[in-house]
Amino acid sequence: MAGGERLNVGAGQDRGRGVPGFLGRRGPGRYHRLNPLTKATLATVTAIGAVVVGGLLGPALLVAAAVLLPALAAGVLRRLLLLAGLLALPIAISAFVVNLFFFPGGADVLFRVGPIVATAEGLGFALEILARILAISGAVTLFYLTTHPADLVVDLERRGVSPRLAFVANASVQAVPAMVERAAQITAAQRARGLDTEGSIWRRVRGLVPIVAPVILGSIAEVEERTMALEARGFTRPGRRTLLWAPRDSVPEATVRWLMLAGLAGLVALRATGAWPG
Amino acid sequence: MTLALHGVGYRYAGATRPSLLDVDLVLPHGEVVGLVGASEAGKTTLCLVASGLAPRAIGGQIRGRVTLDDEDVDAWPMHRLSQRIGIGFQNPANQLSQVTESVFEEVAFGPMNLGLPRDEVLERTWSAVDALRIGPLVERDPRRLSGGQQQLVAIAGLLALGPDHLVLDEPTAQLDPAGTRLVADAIARLATGGASILVAEHKTDLLLDVAARVIAVDAGWIVLDGPAAEVLADPAIEVLGVAPPAAVRLTREAERGGVPAAARARLAEALAK
Amino acid sequence: MALRWIAALIGFALVAFVGIVVIGDFSAERAADSWALVAAIGLAAAFVAYAATEYFQTGGFGSIARQFDLRTVVLVPIAIAINIILGAAVANALKIPIYLDSIGTILVGALAGPIAGALTGFTANLVWQYIIPPPFQGTVAAPFAIVAAVIGLMAGLFARAGWLRPRPNSSGGALLIGGLVALGIVVLLAVYAYVRFYTDAFEFFNPDNADPLFVILGWLIAGLFVAFIVGFVALLVVRRDLTVAYVTVAGVLTGMVAALISAPISANLFSGITGSGTDFLVAAFRQAGSDIQVATFQQGLLSDPVDKLVTFFVVYLVLTAIARRTIARFPQGERLVEAGDASAGEGGEWRGASG
Repeated sequence: MAGGERLNVGAGQDRGRGVPGFLGRRGPGRYHRLNPLTKATLATVTAIGAVVVGGLLGPALLVAAAVLLPALAAGVLRRLLLLAGLLALPIAISAFVVNLFFFPGGADVLFRVGPIVATAEGLGFALEILARILAISGAVTLFYLTTHPADLVVDLERRGVSPRLAFVANASVQAVPAMVERAAQITAAQRARGLDTEGSIWRRVRGLVPIVAPVILGSIAEVEERTMALEARGFTRPGRRTLLWAPRDSVPEATVRWLMLAGLAGLVALRATGAWPG
Repeated sequence: MTLALHGVGYRYAGATRPSLLDVDLVLPHGEVVGLVGASEAGKTTLCLVASGLAPRAIGGQIRGRVTLDDEDVDAWPMHRLSQRIGIGFQNPANQLSQVTESVFEEVAFGPMNLGLPRDEVLERTWSAVDALRIGPLVERDPRRLSGGQQQLVAIAGLLALGPDHLVLDEPTAQLDPAGTRLVADAIARLATGGASILVAEHKTDLLLDVAARVIAVDAGWIVLDGPAAEVLADPAIEVLGVAPPAAVRLTREAERGGVPAAARARLAEALAK
Repeated sequence: MALRWIAALIGFALVAFVGIVVIGDFSAERAADSWALVAAIGLAAAFVAYAATEYFQTGGFGSIARQFDLRTVVLVPIAIAINIILGAAVANALKIPIYLDSIGTILVGALAGPIAGALTGFTANLVWQYIIPPPFQGTVAAPFAIVAAVIGLMAGLFARAGWLRPRPNSSGGALLIGGLVALGIVVLLAVYAYVRFYTDAFEFFNPDNADPLFVILGWLIAGLFVAFIVGFVALLVVRRDLTVAYVTVAGVLTGMVAALISAPISANLFSGITGSGTDFLVAAFRQAGSDIQVATFQQGLLSDPVDKLVTFFVVYLVLTAIARRTIARFPQGERLVEAGDASAGEGGEWRGASG
């Protein structure tokens, strides 16, 4: 498929026995239906931008404009806040506590806890890092909530990414839950054989070995047969493969993508040359 | 298309002894051939060699000739050969591509790989879906299907490539009775439709049902080759570690038990239906 | 052909130049310690330059793609899943100060080669952040993609050099020499790390330093080191496998390089915090007075070598558990198994695959 060609994904557009209607995930909203590369670019630019801009105001503005606003438009705001919050929680807590209390060179003491001091400079820095982390977490969560990963891979493949790389990306997504399931099965089987999985840390670590080892070895043993199965389906044919459908793209969207990237590049340049206050 | 092996031998990579020795086999068009033998006797190896995966995908060394309509296919790359000969395996889950989320896309995987025009991909996919009667399953996630259903999807995926021959290596070995029934029926339907199939199986009842001809292998040789009813009734296969079909065992017991010949003949007839 | 390598060299030099200039301007005291990161980015740039040149010359990526046979392609997603599930689930749940998120990367590097390992690591981190859904999604994984790439690269190179080939029944003499050399290398690396990153900041055993936390930490680290030496010697003696020495050096070396590359990234982006068990160490070092950059280095140089050491051993154990003929079919498989029964060569009518 030549790059840029639009494939029809029809709701009920099954011309006779054409592409089945359920192919081609169409989201409930206009934002969902944006090209996945656009959404990915937004996520990346926001994440990198939040780091480059620094300070507190910058990331906050970015989050508002590039994360919260689109989330609202897409109707996923509540889920986004919940999910991004949960995801960022461990890091957020760590970052906040460590930076608040252990900021080197902090002089303006706020309060003490035993030998550990909380400083105002530490607080400021902690908030900055927090803002940055929330921006990154929010941006990536927005992408996850509005885009099916397979859509991104299909789009990339349409633009020329090698089918093998596309395979790796898609298969990785499926491999994770498959491995979790296998681990669960093996855990159940081992428990039935009397494996002890509770108790002290040492015992839990030892209890992991009879689970992790079969999972890894079993997965590797399957590689042989799965390779043969792929060969038998013509996967080794050189060249591109036919795609049944692909997400739509449009000139305005492409323009927006380039503008975002240019904006980011400009930001980086400003920062690097010191023109932007840190 | 006639698939033929002439004096074929095969040795796995790193093995000292060959697993196949001097096999001569002709698989004509439209015939369903069963393959029996003890484990490690060479059934799987024969399937791999006939389909071309050996040596292309797994290395090793081959001798002799494999021909399609008398044309030597030795230089054919795998993706070209897979459009003539499809091969299925025991483990249903391992045959899934692991990159698709619907049965339809899974069946379409092969034609998509071949780079065929989109309309042709769709046409082939739909006809494979129809042939295996998995229309109701097209939207389902292939990973969530039962073993038997996954095996049907796998076979459909092979058919979508448009091969003349199907090689199935113990397709029901890892299935429960319901799944076995599902797959056996599908194979029987394909057979009546005139497909050319080589199916290796331990379940000789199944072979009696669908195969016109049966081959027995032992230690890398073909030791028996003849009409299914004959070969499967031959006591020699028990020596090879193959259990005869229930019908055969029943008639033998009847003979031993002193049931008269006429009654035995009627019994055999009834079982054959 | 030569044009591609020249392009690669130019790419590397360009990045090195820019890196030096930029880091010079952003100067923190220890900015000079970011050389490893600059080198890693330079390598990546060289790779991209090579690939781009090849693309312009031939319209494809033949010489790179040819290294990825189908078996590797099937293995990589499994390796990525191993990284994520062992990394995210196990290490986080146990809250131990190591990551354990490179097992798959190093496995692919060993089985398929340095480039495959590098691309696996890189892709794994990107996929981990962008494509894997919660709860396994990695929140800070993507920036460390380049670290993972270098880890995979090094693992592939070590494997190619035969370092992961089992050597059972090594002679006592070989074990002695190998053990001493390995210990020597590790001690040298430890001394370098100590002198470069720890002495200026504070002294562990300084009796004037009233803070009990650091006396304890110091003794803990010393204890860890002693335990390591004892364990190493015991393992050598018990298994009589010289490869234990090789694996140890490979692990510690990879860990140090990984620490040197990841510390600047972690310090500049996240002030050294990653939400894992290592944050406690960072806090401790900061309390002792190290600034953010140094504290991150100090934590990294403790966690990473231990982490990679454990990972390399896990991979070695896994490799020894896989059947020989399964390993042998991977691109670098032959270098991971003992030189054994030479398979009967092709002769007469026997021929390999030609299609």
